[in-house]
Amino acid sequence: MKIVVCVKQVPGTTDVSIDPETKRLVREGVEIMMNPFDTYALEEGLLLKEKHGGEVIALSMGPKRAELTLREALACGADRAILLNDRALGGSDTFATSYALSKAVKKIGEVNLVLCGKQAIDGDTAQVGPGIAAHLKWPQATYVSRLIDSKESILTVERMHEAGNDVCEVELPAVLTVLKDINIPRIPTLKGRLASRTAEIPVWDASFIGADPAKIGLDGSPTRVVTTRKPDARDKHTVVLDGSASKSAGELVKILKSRIKL
Amino acid sequence: MNIENSIKRFHVEVLPPKQNAENLEERLEKFADRYTRVVEEDYCACITDNAMGHLSFQGTELIEELELPVKPENVMIHLNTFHTKKDLDNILNSCAERGIKYILAVTGDGSPRLPKLRPLDLGINGLESVTSVELLNYIKNEYPGYFTLGVAFNPYEPEQHEFNKMRRKINAGAEFAITQPVVEQNEAVEKMLKEFDIPVVVEAWMSRKLHLLSECVGYEIPENTEYDPVANLEKLMKNYPDCGVYLALLNYKRQFPLLKEMRSYAGR
Repeated sequence: MKIVVCVKQVPGTTDVSIDPETKRLVREGVEIMMNPFDTYALEEGLLLKEKHGGEVIALSMGPKRAELTLREALACGADRAILLNDRALGGSDTFATSYALSKAVKKIGEVNLVLCGKQAIDGDTAQVGPGIAAHLKWPQATYVSRLIDSKESILTVERMHEAGNDVCEVELPAVLTVLKDINIPRIPTLKGRLASRTAEIPVWDASFIGADPAKIGLDGSPTRVVTTRKPDARDKHTVVLDGSASKSAGELVKILKSRIKL
Repeated sequence: MNIENSIKRFHVEVLPPKQNAENLEERLEKFADRYTRVVEEDYCACITDNAMGHLSFQGTELIEELELPVKPENVMIHLNTFHTKKDLDNILNSCAERGIKYILAVTGDGSPRLPKLRPLDLGINGLESVTSVELLNYIKNEYPGYFTLGVAFNPYEPEQHEFNKMRRKINAGAEFAITQPVVEQNEAVEKMLKEFDIPVVVEAWMSRKLHLLSECVGYEIPENTEYDPVANLEKLMKNYPDCGVYLALLNYKRQFPLLKEMRSYAGR
């Protein structure tokens, strides 16, 4: 089974700022990490490979330093990694990003399964995985919480939605986006970490994957961030309730009642 | 060596490199050097397990990858409950294969990236979470006779609670205990020595980073407090002559060479 896992580099902190000009997150000088949901996608890919054999390829689109996240994927056990990096891809929204990633999947060739985390913790859109499936015209199952069965050409998965859970059969090739419930991601071993440090990571540009310049970058993005603002700071303070336990409990109930509609 | 004599000596903390270390090769070299020095001096090298929840490499994989020598009496692996069952078994199997004798079983510090053992992983029903007690039970049952198991004792916890926990730990197979850092003398440690008939190792805080010590002991020690780690170590050796000493955050350049003389003086 040839499995592509899309991994994104995201800020490892909530203390981020937004560039007033570009309306995008300032990523320079910020601690970075692999998008936590992608670690579950990667683990699921590795588990499938352990069961069926084949190959796990980590794919990321981003700046040169996104290579660090790909090395993390290699350290965990991915067989190889590809970085999609091109100035022309800068400013891509989720539509253009999923288009570019789908072109990379096609370029890799003979892929059976694309795995993504349900969403990235910086953008929070949950659109890229479904976007890749749409561009590839492949079936998809989103918010997958359990892989019930896997055969060479069909997966049986449980997916979560507002009203409960569905059990779906998905024919391969397909795209899955996964939830945290699906597995427990492994921690890289020292052996894996050392090997990942020297592994070659090919960098593909837009022309190499055959991307239409009109469909990538800012110009190829149908959505625009018009304005951004930080949410209002929450009014946090500590209230100390003195007195006996029963008196304090009564006070606490009063406070809670005044703040929420019970 | 019997357990009392083996425990009554210097236990030197050797911190493994963190997973995200930039200069990993350099860190590995430093780890190998420190480990080797500790083992060669016939002290016990104590390798921590993701201390404070920081993602680090495992002692067993470091020993294997760096081809470090193992003297069974001279290596202690810390093992907490933040592992998958598969990783836990891998660590224990590796310890057993290498003849590592001492395991310190602790509940440990978690982090979002670290998986937590679930009771069902250890075949336990009707329990909410796995603590060092369940971990001890598991090791004792699955690896009978392989290891000498130790546990942590926290003299800064409410006494009754900590003593009850200690009883449960001993019933589950604990054969020695290591305290949290002690500054000079501690009443709860003395009571514990009287109450429980197991060898004890008292922890000496060898760093001047008092904010970290405050975190360990659970009360605020002002940064401007005069604290001499070596003087404290000497006092601990004097106050607890029958105990081993665990040296946390030891300075390998300045403090390590002092240990030789102190050992011969104190018969450790």
